[in-house]
Amino acid sequence: MTATVTPMVSVEGLVKVRSQSESVFELHVPRFTVLPGQMVAVVGESGCGKSTLLDILALVMVPTRVALFRIDPGGGPAWDVAALWEREDEGALARLRRDSFGYVLQTGGLLPFLSVRGNICLSGRLKGAEISAGRLDALSRRLGIEGCLERMPLSLSIGQRQRVAILRALAHRPRLLLADEPTAAVDKTRARTIMEDMRHLAVDEGVAVVVVTHDLDLVMDRADLAYTFETEQIGGQTTRSVCRPLAEASP
Amino acid sequence: MNARSRPLRQIPALAASHLCHEWILTLCLVVALAAVISPLLVLLGLKYGTIQTLRERLVEDPVFREIRPTQTREFVPRWFDEVSAWAGVGFLTPTILPLSSVVQVVAREEGKNELFDLVPTAPGDPLLLENGAPVPAEGEVVITSEAARRCRLEAGGAITVRISRSRGGRSEQVEVALKVIAVLDPRAGALPRVYAPLSFVLDVEAYKEGYGAPARGWAGQTPDPYASFDGAVLLLAKPLFPIARTGLIINTGFGRIAEVSGEKIQELFGFLPPPGFAAYDLTAPGGSVTASNLQAVDQKLRGQEKVLLPYAQGIELMIEGEALPPIGLSLDGEQGTLLRVEPPPWGGNRGNLSKNGVLLQMLWPSAKPPAKEDAVAVSFAGMDGALAFNLHLTGSTSLPRPVVPVELLGVLRTATQRKVFFDKEMERFQMARGGFRGFRLYARSIDDVPPLYGKLKAQGVEVTAEVAAIERIRTLDRGLSRLFWLISLLSLFGGTSVLVSSLYAAVERRRRDLGVLRLLGFARWHVFFFPVAQGLIIAALGLVAGFGGYGVLALAINRAFSSQLAPGEAFCFLPASSIPLFSLATILLAALASLVAAWRATCIDPAEVIREQ
Repeated sequence: MTATVTPMVSVEGLVKVRSQSESVFELHVPRFTVLPGQMVAVVGESGCGKSTLLDILALVMVPTRVALFRIDPGGGPAWDVAALWEREDEGALARLRRDSFGYVLQTGGLLPFLSVRGNICLSGRLKGAEISAGRLDALSRRLGIEGCLERMPLSLSIGQRQRVAILRALAHRPRLLLADEPTAAVDKTRARTIMEDMRHLAVDEGVAVVVVTHDLDLVMDRADLAYTFETEQIGGQTTRSVCRPLAEASP
Repeated sequence: MNARSRPLRQIPALAASHLCHEWILTLCLVVALAAVISPLLVLLGLKYGTIQTLRERLVEDPVFREIRPTQTREFVPRWFDEVSAWAGVGFLTPTILPLSSVVQVVAREEGKNELFDLVPTAPGDPLLLENGAPVPAEGEVVITSEAARRCRLEAGGAITVRISRSRGGRSEQVEVALKVIAVLDPRAGALPRVYAPLSFVLDVEAYKEGYGAPARGWAGQTPDPYASFDGAVLLLAKPLFPIARTGLIINTGFGRIAEVSGEKIQELFGFLPPPGFAAYDLTAPGGSVTASNLQAVDQKLRGQEKVLLPYAQGIELMIEGEALPPIGLSLDGEQGTLLRVEPPPWGGNRGNLSKNGVLLQMLWPSAKPPAKEDAVAVSFAGMDGALAFNLHLTGSTSLPRPVVPVELLGVLRTATQRKVFFDKEMERFQMARGGFRGFRLYARSIDDVPPLYGKLKAQGVEVTAEVAAIERIRTLDRGLSRLFWLISLLSLFGGTSVLVSSLYAAVERRRRDLGVLRLLGFARWHVFFFPVAQGLIIAALGLVAGFGGYGVLALAINRAFSSQLAPGEAFCFLPASSIPLFSLATILLAALASLVAAWRATCIDPAEVIREQ
């Protein structure tokens, strides 16, 4: 973590306002940075805006205001995401997603009509780089799902599905892995091993990780950096949540 | 392939996988589509098949392509040339008067006579060729099955045709032995008929009208042209009483009588009447003077000393490039003496033109240098082109212009009004055939019949044709087409609704999966094609199943009706061209039906749907 390293994700002065009927929710992110290979944890209670932040990072939600939003996958020019949103260049955003991102959903987000192998290979095919059989074998063995490749996702246990989801998110060699409560649906012990496996794999592959969770203990000793949220009620209907690095936030 | 559209290549496989995964729903949808497509194809097949069968049955029988005249009138040869060139005319031949066409046929073995209709034919006659008979040559005939039955004849037999006429109160007849080369199929007509080459039939007609056919050895008149004149000059030693004058224009065919000056006579005939002679000009205004008119006047003035000289004005002969108006003069010795004019060597006007060679004489004016020794080539502009013939110089004359027999002048005048040709071999003038009294016309196809029918009617030719039968089939075709389109529209509506709702429901059901696809890197416009691909796959499967169902049903229908069908006919039949057309229309419609679902798919916001359970 030296100043000479170019951050992979730099966000400054981000504001997202969401209103639902009468109530208004404001998310403020003064500064959010992810360095290459870093594991960043975003910790918070439900409703604090951590999923909103992840969706914005995943380029599927448009920020209301942002001073700086750059993504630098390396090996090419950095992307000015704020400008892409300005231009509504959804093609470029989708391309950035499929080339540089991997995403693990809370419940896997596997496509039920494709086999495990079909799910994993899809990300590679989208990127235009077929995942080699050797790589698929090696990765699936590391995650302990080598026997499930020909099965359909619905026939797997939830833990297995999460491992498949992690494998799918990493198989096409992305630069950034976004994980949204990847272990929320499994018990604590299994959650730890899944988190551990993901961590190790990310380090080996040199992939930066942003993991969202409500369980601080799960990530405390694994994350290089953690962000959390300060929520306050301002006015009758407005809730404001500010995202800050954990060290700053805790007194 | 560029990076932007790479995800698009994955869409069809993903769409297919999805359909595979939900195979029960897919199967239901395909069966529903097939249930719309199959009956539609059967209906289309029945329409094509029945109409085609009915049409082919009509097309096969030349009777339905015939256009017959319903009135007898004259059709000039040029009319036949014109009509033959019309589009859609398959065969055309002249025919003769219905009365003239009845001939007696004597079968070889029995002595019994039958009256048959003689019909002309020619190469290419579809009635014969399409009913199993060749076109007869000279000396051969083809007969109908009814004629064969009555005479107990078969192909290869012989018949004797007897043609009779009454001429000058006497009954005459000729007989011809002809070979029967074929008997027609019964469908060619129920009447007893004999089909023979046109030349034979025309000779029969001519014989019945009193003419002969020298080539066949049939006696009779030759079609001589008659002599016609503009008027006649009557020269009398004594003037007529007014009442006698008037009598000359009653029942004689003349319409006017007037005194005529010596100068006019000089101009017409080259000489002046002897002093004291009365001269009258007899004319028939608006008409022609013929031999019978002259005879009538001659009869009325029986016993009086007179000469009646017919004349034709404005007749010019081209002799060696020079237009010469000849004098037409025929006088016998007695008339010559009376008029004090030397009679020409051919004598007086007999009104009879059968004297061969007598017509073709000329006296050259002695004042002029002779053109040739014994004969001059003459050309005359007749109504139907130039007449070229030779005139023999049989002497000279003291008159100022060449002199020819007045009968020649009369024939040449007729040639300006009727078709006359000069037969060089026989050295005689003949009337050309005026025209034909009817025709036999076959259209090339039944579709050509109505336009030809209309075209002839527009010409004023009253005709009849099986337009009604053809029109019935066309009406049925139109009706069935309308029915088909109506039912198609209904089915179209049903089939499209099924597709629209099913594809839309699939998008709603798979919102989360579509959201995940977006998250994986598919752009909005990529996801658009997911329902479109599904619609196309379902339509293709529905088409395959639909055509399968049609095949089975069509086979069953054609089997069920096989007893009423000839080999090669089918009640349910689809033309090859309609299959790709139908398929294309279905695929297009499916693509259209998927657009609503496709639009819905692009509206999905991944952030909203990926956390749904």
